[in-house]
Amino acid sequence: MSVSWQTLADALSLGGIYALMAVGIGLVFGVLRLVNFAYGQLIMAGAYAIAYASVWGWPSWAGILLCFAVVLALSVLMDRIVFRPLRTHSPAVMLVATFAIAFLMQSIAVLAFGQLGTVASSMGPLNQPWDVGGVEIRKIAIVSVVVAAVCLGLLQLLLTRTSVGLHMRAASMDFRTARMLGVRANRVIGGAVLISGLLAAVSAVMLTARNPQVTPIFALDDTIIVLAGVVLGGLTRPIAATLGGFTIGFASGLLGGALPTNQSQYLPTFLFAAVILVLLVRPNGLFARASAGAERL
Amino acid sequence: MTLTVDGLRVRYGAVEAVRGLSLEVKPGEIVGLIGPNGAGKSSTLNAIMGAAPVAGGEIRLDGASLRGRKTEDVARAGIALVPEGRRIFAELTVEENLRLGLAARRSPGGIDDVFELFPVIEEFRRRQAGALSGGQQQQLAIARALVADPSVLLLDEPSLGLAPRIVSVVFDALAAIRERGLAVLLVEQRAQRTVALADRTYVLSNGELRLTLGPKDASDTEKLVAAYFA
Amino acid sequence: MKKLHELIAPVALVLGTALLGLVVSSALQTYFLDTLIKVAIVVALYVFIGNSGVLSFGHISFVALGVWTAGVLTVPTAERAAIMPGLAGFLRHATAGNVPSLLLAAVAGLVFAFVAGLPLMRLSGLAAGIATFGVLEIVNNVLRYYDKIGPGLNAFSSVPETTGIWQAAIGALACVVVAFAYQRSRFGRQLRATREDPAAASAAGISIYRQRLLAFAVSGALAGLAGGLYVHLLPVEIDSLYLDVTFITLAMLVVGGSNSLLGAVVGALAIGGLDSFLSASENGVDLLGWHLNLPTGTAELTVGVVMAVILIVRPSGITGGREFSLAWVRR
Repeated sequence: MSVSWQTLADALSLGGIYALMAVGIGLVFGVLRLVNFAYGQLIMAGAYAIAYASVWGWPSWAGILLCFAVVLALSVLMDRIVFRPLRTHSPAVMLVATFAIAFLMQSIAVLAFGQLGTVASSMGPLNQPWDVGGVEIRKIAIVSVVVAAVCLGLLQLLLTRTSVGLHMRAASMDFRTARMLGVRANRVIGGAVLISGLLAAVSAVMLTARNPQVTPIFALDDTIIVLAGVVLGGLTRPIAATLGGFTIGFASGLLGGALPTNQSQYLPTFLFAAVILVLLVRPNGLFARASAGAERL
Repeated sequence: MTLTVDGLRVRYGAVEAVRGLSLEVKPGEIVGLIGPNGAGKSSTLNAIMGAAPVAGGEIRLDGASLRGRKTEDVARAGIALVPEGRRIFAELTVEENLRLGLAARRSPGGIDDVFELFPVIEEFRRRQAGALSGGQQQQLAIARALVADPSVLLLDEPSLGLAPRIVSVVFDALAAIRERGLAVLLVEQRAQRTVALADRTYVLSNGELRLTLGPKDASDTEKLVAAYFA
Repeated sequence: MKKLHELIAPVALVLGTALLGLVVSSALQTYFLDTLIKVAIVVALYVFIGNSGVLSFGHISFVALGVWTAGVLTVPTAERAAIMPGLAGFLRHATAGNVPSLLLAAVAGLVFAFVAGLPLMRLSGLAAGIATFGVLEIVNNVLRYYDKIGPGLNAFSSVPETTGIWQAAIGALACVVVAFAYQRSRFGRQLRATREDPAAASAAGISIYRQRLLAFAVSGALAGLAGGLYVHLLPVEIDSLYLDVTFITLAMLVVGGSNSLLGAVVGALAIGGLDSFLSASENGVDLLGWHLNLPTGTAELTVGVVMAVILIVRPSGITGGREFSLAWVRR
């Protein structure tokens, strides 16, 4: 197997995007102990926003704005209609409920936009190559690495330097005690859902640029791999989730680009075999603290 | 502000943990609450905080009802709890733990006021809270509650697992807190020291108040309690 | 066996569905057959999830394995080269009849679930959920691309279509009876004890790991059997046994009430019935003088909405997780 610079850059950028998705899933898990299966469908909705904006002839910035608006609105809606009423129920019920939402959003997309999908051509320029020191690299690869790094940096600042961030971290460690200290549950959850939605919107823009063909199952495979990555890294800490997301994105980008098709088609088998192995050895994830409890009852 | 509990009943499913408990804590007063395990001491505190199912009765702060309020709103109304087992955030720094206390604070001010009372935790403000000793963690937990500038302070067994010397530090701090005009409700296992410190101490058993002791009863605490339950 | 009356309601529901399926037109009968197989799958899910309280996303891979086993053994040898050109070794010649192929499908599910469960049943909670999901991914991925063992992305065509209403009903009933027998057995009761209070159960000497493993294997066998029934109903594409089916069967279980066998059957019949009715309506049906013709996709959408609403309004499911009891009648 040989690794080209393009493959390496692609793997890095996929790792970056997956890291964003992972921390988006991880933040909501932290405060709600809920794995949001519908995260990919949020991204899918954002991708459709970009695609339709491009069909209507909107400039690309307007499409990106629409994407943010749609994804954030859906995130807040999901929180209000599904997460909050189910907050006190068993993890199993919540998990299946987000499964239901995912299924529902996918079938709405099929009904409204059709099975075949729409092309987000406004993102085309980002797919053009740049010449970097004699090596051709797709612009989106570089852009997404930079954007992911900036987003993660901002998130780190928010979590460590602001009181909202502090409240969020405390709530994901011990929600009950945090509330006893006056941390407002709804505000913390709302904040986490909002940030998670912002990250989904950013991921939607990036994934649409990588793959402008938007279908009802857009980002589904990515989300599944990210979920594995999040669990692989460890759900209870944002850093661990981020690292897990990056690792699995980088690995699948690298292997997917470097292996011939008749081997790379078995990529999911290798990824998930690795996930199972890691879970058997470290059920809380690779980068979690040994003492961290995985679930709150 | 005055905390009033009137005919409080707490029920977990079929189990009634508190049965018609009434007490009052005025500003500048320490009220002790002692009794065997399972007597309903912690349930009473949790019920005041809106974190246990209240089946009957009233909880008031200067006449305004707190019953049915969310936990965080009770905290924001001026009641701070130092929970059983300290419940500090081990992965956060000492300073971050204290800043969390600000979540419920309505008056201006920062975290620095509490270092006067607990100088030892100022030294460690940048350390992870989990690295502190048990006694330091307990002081941090009380300091974190005080950062909120509460009018009522609830403490759930603050001396649990502490060396006698540290217990004195904690109890001295409580006396100083009383001087500041807070209303303090102290749940304890160390009966004698509690009776000696508190203005009044109630003995709780099976969810009901059985006996009231004053500071002069301190030396006879065990005898009195034993005689009552005999 | 005590409490035999708890078996009455699930059995009656399955039989009722089968009898109704006998009287409708043959076009509609397909939906009844499909629903009965869903009952079998959901009951299989229930045996593990309901009794252990641990989520599994992997069971549809046991169904897929049942489809594969019964399928690959019953495609006529003369047609195997055309349908599965890459087939290797003994798979080119080995054959089985209808009933043996169903039993082998169950055995395949049993063995695979047992082997997969050996390591996986040490996990619990979310880690168990994701690990079982990994099993689904791996089985789907391998069966989809590895054409030395099966048709890959193509359907199992030419499998004898022996799953009529009776075969489907007997299969579903077999699952119900096995699930009931297991649940009332010493093992089933021990597993339920671990669900209620793991610490107390451990203290009483119950091995959580062994009891979960046993339930996983039993439910794997039932799922495999369901797969066998399915491939004998219509030419199944292995790839279709993936996320959608995983989701819809899990939702059936939760919607019905995951803590009871009755809940599993009710959930499967309610959602299966609704789904069938709407799917039929997408092709146009006449109902009480009305002609109904819904746009394609309505079924999925409605089923999704109904499930989401039930989960939010009544998270313990339609039956609330209780079995049928005579007290219901007296009320």
